[in-house]
Amino acid sequence: MLMPKRVKHRKAHRGRMKGKAGRGNEIAFGEFGLQALEPCWMTSRQIEAARRAIVRHVKRSGKLWIRVFPDKPVTAKPAETRMGSGKGNVDHWVAVVKPGRIIFEIAGVKEEAAREAMRLASHKLPIKTQFIARRDPITGGEGGR
Amino acid sequence: MEQFELRAEKRTIIGKRVKGLRREGLVPAVLYGPKTEPIPIQCDRRELQRILARAGGTNLISLRIGDDGEPKMALAREVQRDAITNELYHVDFYQVVMTEKVKTDVSIIFTGQPPAVQQNMAMLLQGMDSVEVECLPGNLIHSIEVDLSTLGIDEAIYVRDLRVPDDVTILTDGDEVVAKVQRLRVAVEEEEEVEAAPGEVEVIAKGRAEEAEEAGAEEEKAEPAEDTA
Repeated sequence: MLMPKRVKHRKAHRGRMKGKAGRGNEIAFGEFGLQALEPCWMTSRQIEAARRAIVRHVKRSGKLWIRVFPDKPVTAKPAETRMGSGKGNVDHWVAVVKPGRIIFEIAGVKEEAAREAMRLASHKLPIKTQFIARRDPITGGEGGR
Repeated sequence: MEQFELRAEKRTIIGKRVKGLRREGLVPAVLYGPKTEPIPIQCDRRELQRILARAGGTNLISLRIGDDGEPKMALAREVQRDAITNELYHVDFYQVVMTEKVKTDVSIIFTGQPPAVQQNMAMLLQGMDSVEVECLPGNLIHSIEVDLSTLGIDEAIYVRDLRVPDDVTILTDGDEVVAKVQRLRVAVEEEEEVEAAPGEVEVIAKGRAEEAEEAGAEEEKAEPAEDTA
Protein backbone atom coordinates (compact mmCIF):
# COMPACT_ATOMS: atom_id res chain seq x y z
CA MET A 1 0.00 0.00 0.00
CA LEU A 2 1.08 3.56 -0.66
CA MET A 3 2.65 5.57 2.16
CA PRO A 4 5.60 7.94 2.48
CA LYS A 5 9.05 6.46 3.05
CA ARG A 6 10.15 9.38 5.22
CA VAL A 7 8.21 12.19 6.83
CA LYS A 8 9.22 15.46 8.41
CA HIS A 9 6.57 15.29 11.12
CA ARG A 10 5.09 12.10 12.54
CA LYS A 11 1.58 13.50 13.15
CA ALA A 12 -0.37 16.18 11.31
CA HIS A 13 -3.27 18.52 11.96
CA ARG A 14 -6.60 17.62 10.38
CA GLY A 15 -6.83 20.73 8.20
CA ARG A 16 -9.77 21.76 6.01
CA MET A 17 -11.00 20.52 2.65
CA LYS A 18 -12.48 23.74 1.26
CA GLY A 19 -12.89 24.44 -2.42
CA LYS A 20 -12.08 22.55 -5.56
CA ALA A 21 -8.82 20.98 -6.71
CA GLY A 22 -6.67 23.71 -8.25
CA ARG A 23 -4.05 21.25 -9.43
CA GLY A 24 -4.18 17.69 -10.70
CA ASN A 25 -7.61 18.36 -12.20
CA GLU A 26 -6.74 17.58 -15.82
CA ILE A 27 -5.74 14.37 -17.51
CA ALA A 28 -1.99 14.69 -17.93
CA PHE A 29 -0.62 11.23 -18.75
CA GLY A 30 -3.28 8.84 -19.99
CA GLU A 31 -6.34 8.95 -22.23
CA PHE A 32 -9.10 8.37 -19.69
CA GLY A 33 -9.40 9.11 -16.01
CA LEU A 34 -11.50 8.96 -12.87
CA GLN A 35 -12.32 12.34 -11.37
CA ALA A 36 -13.48 13.04 -7.82
CA LEU A 37 -16.74 14.97 -7.45
CA GLU A 38 -16.65 15.28 -3.64
CA PRO A 39 -14.00 16.04 -1.04
CA CYS A 40 -12.67 13.21 1.10
CA TRP A 41 -9.75 11.66 2.91
CA MET A 42 -8.90 8.72 0.68
CA THR A 43 -7.05 6.02 2.58
CA SER A 44 -4.20 4.02 1.14
CA ARG A 45 -6.40 0.90 1.45
CA GLN A 46 -9.09 2.45 -0.70
CA ILE A 47 -6.57 3.55 -3.31
CA GLU A 48 -5.03 0.08 -3.38
CA ALA A 49 -8.42 -1.65 -3.62
CA ALA A 50 -9.43 0.59 -6.52
CA ARG A 51 -6.08 0.06 -8.24
CA ARG A 52 -6.50 -3.70 -7.99
CA ALA A 53 -10.01 -3.50 -9.40
CA ILE A 54 -8.67 -1.63 -12.44
CA VAL A 55 -5.67 -3.93 -12.98
CA ARG A 56 -7.87 -7.02 -12.63
CA HIS A 57 -10.32 -5.75 -15.22
CA VAL A 58 -7.88 -4.57 -17.88
CA LYS A 59 -5.70 -7.68 -17.34
CA ARG A 60 -2.40 -7.29 -19.15
CA SER A 61 -3.17 -4.35 -21.33
CA GLY A 62 -2.85 -0.64 -20.66
CA LYS A 63 -0.86 1.61 -18.42
CA LEU A 64 -2.18 3.04 -15.19
CA TRP A 65 -1.24 6.20 -13.30
CA ILE A 66 -2.24 6.88 -9.70
CA ARG A 67 -2.54 10.65 -9.35
CA VAL A 68 -3.09 10.83 -5.58
CA PHE A 69 -0.66 9.90 -2.83
CA PRO A 70 -1.61 9.27 0.81
CA ASP A 71 0.92 11.50 2.56
CA LYS A 72 -1.23 12.62 5.52
CA PRO A 73 -1.03 10.55 8.73
CA VAL A 74 -4.27 9.92 10.62
CA THR A 75 -4.02 9.03 14.29
CA ALA A 76 -6.39 6.99 16.46
CA LYS A 77 -6.52 6.10 20.13
CA PRO A 78 -6.67 2.42 21.11
CA ALA A 79 -10.09 0.97 22.03
CA GLU A 80 -11.34 1.43 25.59
CA THR A 81 -8.84 4.18 26.39
CA ARG A 82 -9.76 7.15 28.55
CA MET A 83 -9.66 10.54 26.89
CA GLY A 84 -6.60 12.73 27.36
CA SER A 85 -2.91 11.90 27.60
CA GLY A 86 -2.08 13.29 24.21
CA LYS A 87 -2.66 12.49 20.57
CA GLY A 88 -3.05 8.86 19.53
CA ASN A 89 -0.73 6.78 17.38
CA VAL A 90 -0.60 6.93 13.60
CA ASP A 91 -3.29 4.53 12.37
CA HIS A 92 -3.32 4.97 8.61
CA TRP A 93 -2.41 7.32 5.77
CA VAL A 94 -4.77 9.34 3.65
CA ALA A 95 -4.69 11.54 0.56
CA VAL A 96 -6.69 14.75 0.80
CA VAL A 97 -8.89 14.72 -2.30
CA LYS A 98 -10.92 17.74 -3.40
CA PRO A 99 -13.64 17.89 -6.08
CA GLY A 100 -12.13 17.89 -9.56
CA ARG A 101 -9.04 15.88 -8.63
CA ILE A 102 -8.04 13.14 -11.08
CA ILE A 103 -7.51 9.98 -9.04
CA PHE A 104 -6.51 7.47 -11.74
CA GLU A 105 -5.51 7.73 -15.37
CA ILE A 106 -5.30 4.93 -17.88
CA ALA A 107 -3.93 4.59 -21.40
CA GLY A 108 -3.58 1.83 -23.97
CA VAL A 109 -7.07 0.36 -23.53
CA LYS A 110 -10.35 0.87 -25.37
CA GLU A 111 -12.85 3.33 -23.95
CA GLU A 112 -15.38 0.64 -22.96
CA ALA A 113 -12.72 -1.31 -21.02
CA ALA A 114 -11.46 1.87 -19.34
CA ARG A 115 -15.00 2.93 -18.45
CA GLU A 116 -15.81 -0.43 -16.89
CA ALA A 117 -12.49 -0.55 -14.99
CA MET A 118 -13.11 2.91 -13.58
CA ARG A 119 -16.68 1.96 -12.64
CA LEU A 120 -15.39 -1.03 -10.69
CA ALA A 121 -12.74 1.16 -9.05
CA SER A 122 -15.29 3.81 -8.10
CA HIS A 123 -17.12 1.25 -5.96
CA LYS A 124 -13.99 0.97 -3.79
CA LEU A 125 -13.88 4.70 -3.14
CA PRO A 126 -15.78 6.71 -0.52
CA ILE A 127 -16.97 9.47 -2.88
CA LYS A 128 -18.91 10.10 -6.07
CA THR A 129 -16.67 10.12 -9.12
CA GLN A 130 -16.99 10.59 -12.86
CA PHE A 131 -15.26 9.00 -15.82
CA ILE A 132 -13.63 11.53 -18.11
CA ALA A 133 -11.67 11.44 -21.34
CA ARG A 134 -8.81 13.73 -22.25
CA ARG A 135 -10.06 17.13 -23.37
CA ASP A 136 -8.64 19.57 -25.85
CA PRO A 137 -7.54 22.64 -23.83
CA ILE A 138 -9.02 25.17 -26.28
CA THR A 139 -12.13 23.54 -27.70
CA GLY A 140 -12.95 21.62 -24.52
CA GLY A 141 -14.00 18.68 -26.66
CA GLU A 142 -13.11 15.11 -25.80
CA GLY A 143 -10.48 13.13 -27.65
CA GLY A 144 -7.66 15.64 -27.54
CA ARG A 145 -5.42 12.73 -28.41
CA MET B 1 -8.73 28.76 -43.93
CA GLU B 2 -12.23 29.12 -42.51
CA GLN B 3 -13.24 32.54 -41.13
CA PHE B 4 -14.94 32.84 -37.76
CA GLU B 5 -16.69 35.95 -36.49
CA LEU B 6 -17.44 36.63 -32.85
CA ARG B 7 -19.33 39.56 -31.35
CA ALA B 8 -18.13 40.93 -28.01
CA GLU B 9 -18.78 43.90 -25.75
CA LYS B 10 -16.30 45.99 -23.78
CA ARG B 11 -16.32 44.92 -20.15
CA THR B 12 -16.39 47.36 -17.23
CA ILE B 13 -16.86 44.75 -14.51
CA ILE B 14 -13.56 43.34 -13.33
CA GLY B 15 -12.32 41.27 -10.40
CA LYS B 16 -14.54 39.01 -8.34
CA ARG B 17 -17.70 40.68 -9.59
CA VAL B 18 -17.39 38.86 -12.94
CA LYS B 19 -19.22 35.98 -11.21
CA GLY B 20 -22.38 37.97 -11.87
CA LEU B 21 -21.58 38.05 -15.59
CA ARG B 22 -21.26 34.28 -15.67
CA ARG B 23 -24.67 33.95 -14.03
CA GLU B 24 -26.13 36.06 -16.85
CA GLY B 25 -24.71 33.70 -19.50
CA LEU B 26 -21.72 35.84 -20.38
CA VAL B 27 -18.06 34.87 -20.29
CA PRO B 28 -15.35 37.37 -19.33
CA ALA B 29 -12.46 37.52 -21.74
CA VAL B 30 -9.49 39.71 -22.57
CA LEU B 31 -7.95 40.79 -25.85
CA TYR B 32 -4.26 41.63 -25.90
CA GLY B 33 -1.46 41.69 -28.39
CA PRO B 34 2.04 42.96 -29.12
CA LYS B 35 0.78 46.30 -30.43
CA THR B 36 -2.39 46.86 -28.38
CA GLU B 37 -3.28 47.57 -24.76
CA PRO B 38 -5.25 44.76 -23.08
CA ILE B 39 -9.02 45.25 -23.48
CA PRO B 40 -11.36 43.45 -21.06
CA ILE B 41 -14.34 42.11 -23.03
CA GLN B 42 -17.35 39.86 -22.50
CA CYS B 43 -18.97 37.40 -24.91
CA ASP B 44 -22.13 35.36 -25.04
CA ARG B 45 -21.31 31.91 -23.62
CA ARG B 46 -23.17 29.84 -26.23
CA GLU B 47 -21.75 31.71 -29.18
CA LEU B 48 -18.24 31.61 -27.72
CA GLN B 49 -18.50 27.88 -27.05
CA ARG B 50 -19.65 27.24 -30.62
CA ILE B 51 -16.85 29.35 -32.14
CA LEU B 52 -14.14 27.87 -29.91
CA ALA B 53 -15.23 24.30 -30.70
CA ARG B 54 -14.82 24.96 -34.41
CA ALA B 55 -11.90 27.39 -34.47
CA GLY B 56 -9.70 25.88 -31.75
CA GLY B 57 -6.43 27.65 -31.09
CA THR B 58 -5.20 27.63 -34.68
CA ASN B 59 -7.90 29.44 -36.66
CA LEU B 60 -8.14 33.22 -36.72
CA ILE B 61 -11.26 34.67 -35.13
CA SER B 62 -12.56 38.02 -36.33
CA LEU B 63 -13.52 39.80 -33.11
CA ARG B 64 -16.03 42.65 -33.41
CA ILE B 65 -16.04 44.63 -30.15
CA GLY B 66 -19.17 46.73 -29.59
CA ASP B 67 -19.77 49.18 -32.40
CA ASP B 68 -16.07 49.70 -33.12
CA GLY B 69 -15.46 49.79 -36.85
CA GLU B 70 -12.61 47.41 -37.61
CA PRO B 71 -12.89 43.76 -36.56
CA LYS B 72 -9.76 42.53 -34.77
CA MET B 73 -8.09 39.30 -35.87
CA ALA B 74 -7.28 37.15 -32.86
CA LEU B 75 -6.34 33.64 -31.77
CA ALA B 76 -7.83 31.93 -28.71
CA ARG B 77 -4.71 31.52 -26.63
CA GLU B 78 -5.76 30.34 -23.18
CA VAL B 79 -9.15 29.00 -22.19
CA GLN B 80 -10.02 28.50 -18.53
CA ARG B 81 -12.78 26.03 -17.73
CA ASP B 82 -14.37 24.47 -14.68
CA ALA B 83 -12.53 21.18 -14.13
CA ILE B 84 -15.74 19.26 -13.34
CA THR B 85 -18.44 20.79 -15.52
CA ASN B 86 -16.13 21.94 -18.35
CA GLU B 87 -17.94 25.29 -18.38
CA LEU B 88 -16.11 28.34 -19.71
CA TYR B 89 -14.60 30.68 -17.09
CA HIS B 90 -12.38 33.03 -19.05
CA VAL B 91 -10.75 33.28 -22.46
CA ASP B 92 -7.56 35.03 -23.57
CA PHE B 93 -7.59 36.32 -27.14
CA TYR B 94 -4.27 37.22 -28.72
CA GLN B 95 -4.55 39.94 -31.36
CA VAL B 96 -2.20 39.00 -34.16
CA VAL B 97 -0.23 41.23 -36.48
CA MET B 98 -0.52 39.61 -39.89
CA THR B 99 3.13 40.35 -40.76
CA GLU B 100 4.57 39.00 -37.49
CA LYS B 101 5.11 35.35 -36.69
CA VAL B 102 3.01 33.79 -33.91
CA LYS B 103 3.61 30.76 -31.73
CA THR B 104 0.75 28.37 -31.09
CA ASP B 105 0.01 24.74 -30.29
CA VAL B 106 -1.20 22.56 -33.16
CA SER B 107 -2.92 19.30 -32.33
CA ILE B 108 -1.68 15.96 -33.62
CA ILE B 109 -4.26 13.64 -35.17
CA PHE B 110 -3.43 9.96 -35.23
CA THR B 111 -4.68 7.81 -38.10
CA GLY B 112 -4.53 4.04 -38.46
CA GLN B 113 -3.56 1.53 -35.81
CA PRO B 114 -0.26 -0.35 -35.47
CA PRO B 115 -0.62 -4.04 -36.48
CA ALA B 116 0.81 -5.24 -33.13
CA VAL B 117 -1.82 -3.27 -31.24
CA GLN B 118 -4.57 -4.77 -33.37
CA GLN B 119 -3.27 -8.25 -32.51
CA ASN B 120 -3.15 -7.37 -28.77
CA MET B 121 0.60 -7.97 -28.65
CA ALA B 122 1.50 -4.40 -27.77
CA MET B 123 -0.02 -1.15 -26.58
CA LEU B 124 0.14 2.29 -28.07
CA LEU B 125 1.51 5.06 -25.88
CA GLN B 126 0.85 8.58 -27.06
CA GLY B 127 3.46 10.95 -25.71
CA MET B 128 1.87 14.23 -26.71
CA ASP B 129 -1.25 15.56 -28.35
CA SER B 130 0.07 18.85 -29.68
CA VAL B 131 3.29 20.54 -30.77
CA GLU B 132 4.27 24.18 -30.62
CA VAL B 133 4.74 25.79 -34.03
CA GLU B 134 5.77 29.21 -35.26
CA CYS B 135 4.56 30.81 -38.47
CA LEU B 136 2.76 33.81 -39.93
CA PRO B 137 -0.91 33.97 -38.88
CA GLY B 138 -2.02 33.46 -42.46
CA ASN B 139 -0.06 30.20 -42.79
CA LEU B 140 -1.35 28.52 -39.63
CA ILE B 141 -2.24 24.85 -39.94
CA HIS B 142 -5.13 23.33 -38.01
CA SER B 143 -3.63 19.91 -37.25
CA ILE B 144 -0.82 17.51 -38.11
CA GLU B 145 -1.74 14.01 -39.22
CA VAL B 146 0.39 11.07 -38.14
CA ASP B 147 -0.05 7.62 -39.67
CA LEU B 148 0.50 4.86 -37.11
CA SER B 149 -0.28 1.88 -39.33
CA THR B 150 3.37 1.23 -40.21
CA LEU B 151 4.66 1.39 -36.63
CA GLY B 152 6.20 -1.88 -35.37
CA ILE B 153 6.82 -3.12 -31.83
CA ASP B 154 9.26 -0.93 -29.83
CA GLU B 155 9.26 1.63 -32.62
CA ALA B 156 8.41 5.28 -32.02
CA ILE B 157 7.52 8.42 -33.91
CA TYR B 158 9.44 11.51 -32.81
CA VAL B 159 8.66 15.19 -33.27
CA ARG B 160 11.42 15.39 -35.93
CA ASP B 161 9.45 12.86 -38.04
CA LEU B 162 6.41 15.14 -38.30
CA ARG B 163 5.80 16.66 -41.73
CA VAL B 164 4.66 20.30 -41.88
CA PRO B 165 4.63 22.91 -44.68
CA ASP B 166 7.93 24.77 -45.27
CA ASP B 167 6.65 28.07 -43.88
CA VAL B 168 5.77 26.47 -40.55
CA THR B 169 8.51 25.77 -37.97
CA ILE B 170 8.08 23.25 -35.16
CA LEU B 171 9.50 24.61 -31.89
CA THR B 172 9.01 21.49 -29.77
CA ASP B 173 12.22 19.49 -29.22
CA GLY B 174 12.71 17.05 -32.11
CA ASP B 175 13.73 14.19 -29.79
CA GLU B 176 10.43 14.10 -27.94
CA VAL B 177 8.29 11.00 -28.49
CA VAL B 178 4.94 11.53 -30.19
CA ALA B 179 3.77 7.91 -30.14
CA LYS B 180 5.37 4.61 -29.23
CA VAL B 181 4.35 0.98 -29.53
CA GLN B 182 5.33 -0.87 -26.37
CA ARG B 183 5.36 -4.64 -25.94
CA LEU B 184 2.91 -5.90 -23.34
CA ARG B 185 4.42 -7.07 -20.08
CA VAL B 186 3.10 -9.86 -17.87
CA ALA B 187 1.16 -8.36 -15.00
CA VAL B 188 1.14 -11.37 -12.63
CA GLU B 189 4.56 -10.56 -11.15
CA GLU B 190 3.42 -7.03 -10.48
CA GLU B 191 0.51 -8.28 -8.34
CA GLU B 192 2.85 -10.43 -6.23
CA GLU B 193 5.22 -7.54 -5.69
CA VAL B 194 2.41 -5.44 -4.26
CA GLU B 195 1.42 -8.26 -1.89
CA ALA B 196 4.97 -8.34 -0.53
CA ALA B 197 4.88 -4.66 0.46
CA PRO B 198 5.69 -4.01 4.15
CA GLY B 199 2.79 -3.86 6.57
CA GLU B 200 1.34 -0.60 7.75
CA VAL B 201 2.47 -0.74 11.38
CA GLU B 202 5.99 -1.79 10.50
CA VAL B 203 6.53 1.12 8.13
CA ILE B 204 5.13 3.66 10.58
CA ALA B 205 7.52 2.43 13.27
CA LYS B 206 10.35 2.65 10.73
CA GLY B 207 9.32 6.15 9.86
CA ARG B 208 9.43 7.10 13.52
CA ALA B 209 12.95 5.72 13.99
CA GLU B 210 14.17 7.40 10.87
CA GLU B 211 12.70 10.67 11.94
CA ALA B 212 14.76 10.64 15.12
CA GLU B 213 17.91 10.05 13.10
CA GLU B 214 17.24 12.52 10.38
CA ALA B 215 15.66 15.47 12.13
CA GLY B 216 14.81 18.17 9.67
CA ALA B 217 14.68 15.88 6.67
CA GLU B 218 12.46 17.10 3.92
CA GLU B 219 8.92 15.85 3.64
CA GLU B 220 8.31 13.24 1.01
CA LYS B 221 6.76 14.73 -2.07
CA ALA B 222 3.72 13.08 -3.61
CA GLU B 223 4.45 12.12 -7.18
CA PRO B 224 2.12 10.33 -9.60
CA ALA B 225 2.83 6.64 -9.30
CA GLU B 226 3.21 4.83 -12.59
CA ASP B 227 2.00 1.33 -13.01
CA THR B 228 1.77 -1.12 -15.86
CA ALA B 229 -1.61 -2.72 -15.53
